Amino acid sequence: MEKNIYAYKCKRCGHVQYPYRTICRNCHDNDHNEFDIVPLSKKGKIVTFTHLYNPPSDFETVCLTLGIVELDDGNRVTCQLNIPKPKMGMKVAGKVEVVRKDEYNKYYGFVFYEA
Amino acid sequence: MREVYVAGIGITSFTRLEYPLVEIAAYPGLMAMKESRIKSIDQLYVANMGASRANRQTGLASAVIDHMSLTPAGAETIENGPASGASAIKQGFLGVASGMYDTVMVIGAERMREVNNLEATDIVASLTHPLVEYIYGVTLPSLAGMFARLYMDKYGVTSRHLGMVAVKNHKHAMDNFYAHLHEEITLEGILDSKDALTNNPMVADPLRYYDCCPVSDGGACLILTTADIAKKTGKPMVRLAGVGQATDTHAVQDRKNPTDLLAVREAAKKSFAMAALKPKDVHVAELHDAFTILEIVESEEVGFFEKGQGHIALQEGYTKLGGKLPINPSGGLKAKGHPVGATGVGQAQEIVLQLRGEAGKRQVKNAKVGFTCNFGGFGNNVVCLTFVREN
Repeated sequence: MEKNIYAYKCKRCGHVQYPYRTICRNCHDNDHNEFDIVPLSKKGKIVTFTHLYNPPSDFETVCLTLGIVELDDGNRVTCQLNIPKPKMGMKVAGKVEVVRKDEYNKYYGFVFYEA
Repeated sequence: MREVYVAGIGITSFTRLEYPLVEIAAYPGLMAMKESRIKSIDQLYVANMGASRANRQTGLASAVIDHMSLTPAGAETIENGPASGASAIKQGFLGVASGMYDTVMVIGAERMREVNNLEATDIVASLTHPLVEYIYGVTLPSLAGMFARLYMDKYGVTSRHLGMVAVKNHKHAMDNFYAHLHEEITLEGILDSKDALTNNPMVADPLRYYDCCPVSDGGACLILTTADIAKKTGKPMVRLAGVGQATDTHAVQDRKNPTDLLAVREAAKKSFAMAALKPKDVHVAELHDAFTILEIVESEEVGFFEKGQGHIALQEGYTKLGGKLPINPSGGLKAKGHPVGATGVGQAQEIVLQLRGEAGKRQVKNAKVGFTCNFGGFGNNVVCLTFVREN
């Protein structure tokens, strides 16, 4: 099954927030605090990026390319970029993959490729 | 509210220190007690970020107050990431201003070099959003790199401008005995020469090695008290006139305009409002230049320059010692060093020194109003302080 990352849509005002917060950032409704989960889009464009040459020790690589991508649905996500020469504004398509592993856990997140 | 004055200050070298964290905390405290001749306090606040991981020590304030033989005064540890220092000063201010305490000692102390650089970077990275930032390998240098790229693109800031911040602050630190880096650098050496990439490799592009502060150990102290007690010290009267704090979204991705540092803007505004002063009244400032880009952007967001003009002011020498508004005469985090939890107290210590006229070769002439900006998270929790010399 294709993996997704989900955002939280307020049942009262319809505002979509990612990441999750216990109360809607838009309407601050504290009586219901209910959300529908909606999958985030997997298409977008690069807002900014960096090549990190001293990544944390969990990463077995000398250079980790990180970015912030604005998705077609308007949400922004921080992510890894599997793109050798990224550019601001470049169109990208994402997959949900293992982005970090330690001794006990695997963590899934967004990896974007050139669209 | 009662008015709050700085009675005593102290500091250790910001460098790699080979003695225990409680001693790093205690020495500046003892220095401050010695110069102010204050022998007892009502309350101690210890600012620290990483002790539970880097030093496997919790309950730091209890350990420090015992180590200084100041029991049974109250003691608490304050953790607010890299802004822990100014946050602890804020608590001290509240204690004295409210009338609950007459004398409060505020210490910032950190010993990050007990672990290796990667571990230290990871300890600081743990303040990023655990689900949407940290898992990807996001560290503070990477957030600064992504921020710098956007900012440089939008406002025409270049690597040379970033280099100028480093050159300036390294030069300032040459006259600061307590600074971590006593190493004068040139634009030629870090950007232009054929060895530039070896001297100054990429860390998180566009940021290079000399755009990033070192990982330091160190401690600093301020004793805050009432006007009556401060007068007895015989030192020039320096009043903590303004305290402002503001927050922004936890994750950087959520900021509507990602080149704005709204928490800096708001914290500075509150601090100036409390002090009934304006940014143009400031004679000397210590800004949180953990990365060179931050000094430029903060100088705009706190109100010294228009948005997009900070790098021009820098280029024209406005912010160097001898310029109209010297920024980071101590060397800043860039060269004085960044013992995370202690940094905010270190900034305040420098400003008090400047306002007293005790800063030696790096003295800013006739400085009467000083300002600090202590930047927590990647701008998600910021504390700004305004100090005024009274007599």
